Amino acid sequence: MEIIKETSPHIKRKDNLLWMMLDVIIALLPTIVLSFIAYGVHYLKNYLISVGVMCFAEFVFVLIKNHIPYDGKKHPLKERLLKGLKEYRVTDFLVPAVSALIYSLIMPAGASWYAVLIGAIFGIVVGKLIFGGTGNNIFNPAAVGMVAAKLCFGSTYVNLNPSFADVSVSATPLGNINGLAFSNINDYSLLDLFLGRIGGTSGEAFKIAILAGFVYLLIRRDIDWRITLSYIGSFAFMMLFAGIIVHSKLPEVGVFHFLAYQLLSGGLLFGAVFMITDPVTSPINAPARWIYGALAGVLTVIIRLFGALPEGVGFSILIANACASALEYHAWSSSRWKKWHIIALSSIIVLPTIIMVLALLFGGKIA
Amino acid sequence: MIAKSKYIQDRKKLLGRLPTINIDVPDFIYIATDNARCPKSDVYVKEGDHVNCCELIGMRHGAFFDQPIHSTVSGTFLGFEEHYHRSGKKVKFIKIQNDHLDTLDPSVKTRTKEEVEALTKEDFTQIIKDCASVGLGGSSFPTYIKFQTKEKIDTIIINGIECEPYVTADHRLMLEEPENVIEGLELIMKAFSAKRGLICVKNKYNDIKQVYKELLRRYPNSNIELCPVGNFYPQGWEIAMIKGATGINVKSGELPAKYGIMNFNVSTVAGIRQAILFNKPVIERLIAVTGDGINYPSNFKVRVGTPIKYLIEKCGGYKNPDIPKVFILGGPMMGASLPTDDTIATKTVTSVIVLNKPNEEKEEPCIRCGSCVYSCPVGLEPVQIMNAVKAMDKDRVKKLNPLKCIECGLCTYSCTSSIKVTDFVRRAKIIAKLP
Repeated sequence: MEIIKETSPHIKRKDNLLWMMLDVIIALLPTIVLSFIAYGVHYLKNYLISVGVMCFAEFVFVLIKNHIPYDGKKHPLKERLLKGLKEYRVTDFLVPAVSALIYSLIMPAGASWYAVLIGAIFGIVVGKLIFGGTGNNIFNPAAVGMVAAKLCFGSTYVNLNPSFADVSVSATPLGNINGLAFSNINDYSLLDLFLGRIGGTSGEAFKIAILAGFVYLLIRRDIDWRITLSYIGSFAFMMLFAGIIVHSKLPEVGVFHFLAYQLLSGGLLFGAVFMITDPVTSPINAPARWIYGALAGVLTVIIRLFGALPEGVGFSILIANACASALEYHAWSSSRWKKWHIIALSSIIVLPTIIMVLALLFGGKIA
Repeated sequence: MIAKSKYIQDRKKLLGRLPTINIDVPDFIYIATDNARCPKSDVYVKEGDHVNCCELIGMRHGAFFDQPIHSTVSGTFLGFEEHYHRSGKKVKFIKIQNDHLDTLDPSVKTRTKEEVEALTKEDFTQIIKDCASVGLGGSSFPTYIKFQTKEKIDTIIINGIECEPYVTADHRLMLEEPENVIEGLELIMKAFSAKRGLICVKNKYNDIKQVYKELLRRYPNSNIELCPVGNFYPQGWEIAMIKGATGINVKSGELPAKYGIMNFNVSTVAGIRQAILFNKPVIERLIAVTGDGINYPSNFKVRVGTPIKYLIEKCGGYKNPDIPKVFILGGPMMGASLPTDDTIATKTVTSVIVLNKPNEEKEEPCIRCGSCVYSCPVGLEPVQIMNAVKAMDKDRVKKLNPLKCIECGLCTYSCTSSIKVTDFVRRAKIIAKLP
């Protein structure tokens, strides 16, 4: 009988990375299925390109990472390949697959194939692999890919409507509202927004499917609810003030309608559930996670109201990703709430709110 | 899974109910000369000498204390033999051939009630020192040092929580010898002239709670209370226990005595009672032999010095011998794993656990899920410590304060990527101690 010597503890919780990744894929399934139904071949193109490219890139990365170091001898190609293949595990397929699925869902179905392809390559290589692969990336690969594609090829996107939408709205709802013009918010029914009967990026539109995935992830505890809550909470807090000011200037826009419209449009919900909660790119302890979520929420509001782009979820997540390592810097990081956490959290929410209120009151013209 | 691990499956249901088996003392008994706390020792007897049960046969020398070695059987001293000690090292053991007579040494004498009444705290300290009473929960810290405190003690807490999974030795002791525990606690309270005694148990152990509720009714003026505390791990850690029992938050680096609290393990209390009333060292203890690699898990009352192989034979041997196993002395969270089963039941071995390890889960890259940070009972950030150790950054390690770690093992337990985080924290503790 063989006795193994190991260090304590000798028992382990019943969970592993494999299941965590499978869970995210399961949670994404309803959104993927609805996207297929809505956009058919256009979404299939996104799906195949992104999954193929990202998983292949990771595969090549695994081969490169496990190459035979130079030892003066010549090794045949077969031996080199086999050495890398031995290290290739299921998680090396699943982790990029999750990024790829998220990326395919935040890309508009009307994006051209080369935009999807180049975005996917950029996302996985620049967003993840050059940092050292799984666990080492600073930025969310899906968000990096989406933003790169949008910046490079944004003008080539065509607007498609889902197959079950009977509305003839040409642009995405947020795209229709330029700057501080809110008067056509009332054109959109909240139910249509909720059910995804609008044009827009493929996966982000179907709030029911996203919420189903959210509930599943919460039950399986694969995401940190703190980040989602602080992200949506800080977003709603600022949008409430914005809504009150808009309502005072444009009485036909109700405060609740404004708030619900902002929450349900764009990729906010999808980003809050699947993107910002990516554990690799978020800080490690609870207080820093609250601050991180709030930071992203506030940035989303600012970009949506005052930015040159209609949608700020991707950008705000990337900026918050960049701040994550500062929030957990060892000199001041703590897993228990400290005074600076509370000061930082409240100032991150309150100061931009004050600036936003002043800007809306005395800045641009609300129409 | 991104979640705090607080309640871990305790797997005691069956063994907590099985009665303790008194097994025959084997023909050969082995007594450790050195242990983890005492690196040097002297032995007073020569080969071939006859020794009595409870006779002083040697002295261990620790850093700041000496510890007598007692024979636990009567018989012939045969020399030394090397076996694995609980600490994982090979140690010289004194081999004694048992003559099965159990002739007691003349030093063992029953003290009358009046004599016990007359004992002062200094006498207590001396008796406990002579009887080599140590923390039997596994710490093996000499008990008499606790008695030497200068602080005013008003609360004595008995730790019967046993928060480690599988281990049931204290559970059975509390059920089978409740009078000894209460009597021992009364003696300790008298020694410290403490006003209050608390017996801490897990809230979910209704059997223990019922027994003590009834028995404490029979000691109306003793000021002893039963104190059910939480069911989580590590509730048995003294600071968590004191917090649960009294609400006092002992800061890290301070002794509970500063707050007027003294805590003992149940087995230690029973041992102290034996020392005070009969002047007898601990020669027997309860050991749970359990785990999924054992055929018939059992509780044993064992003479100190019994080879563990003998106990495993009594349990019907190993189950599924073709599956690789881990052999653990102590609990599965903090206990030591040994490379062989050639070891001896010393005073501080609470349990023998044999677990099947069919295939080790492979380590994945850390995905920074934060489960270890959420689980850490002292509020450290194990993953940050791990990264600092990997980066060999001494200043960063020191800043992250790894010396607060109690090595409860929850960070490895909760790791989604199966990384042995606790090992890195242990290394960090060594690094942090460097100048």
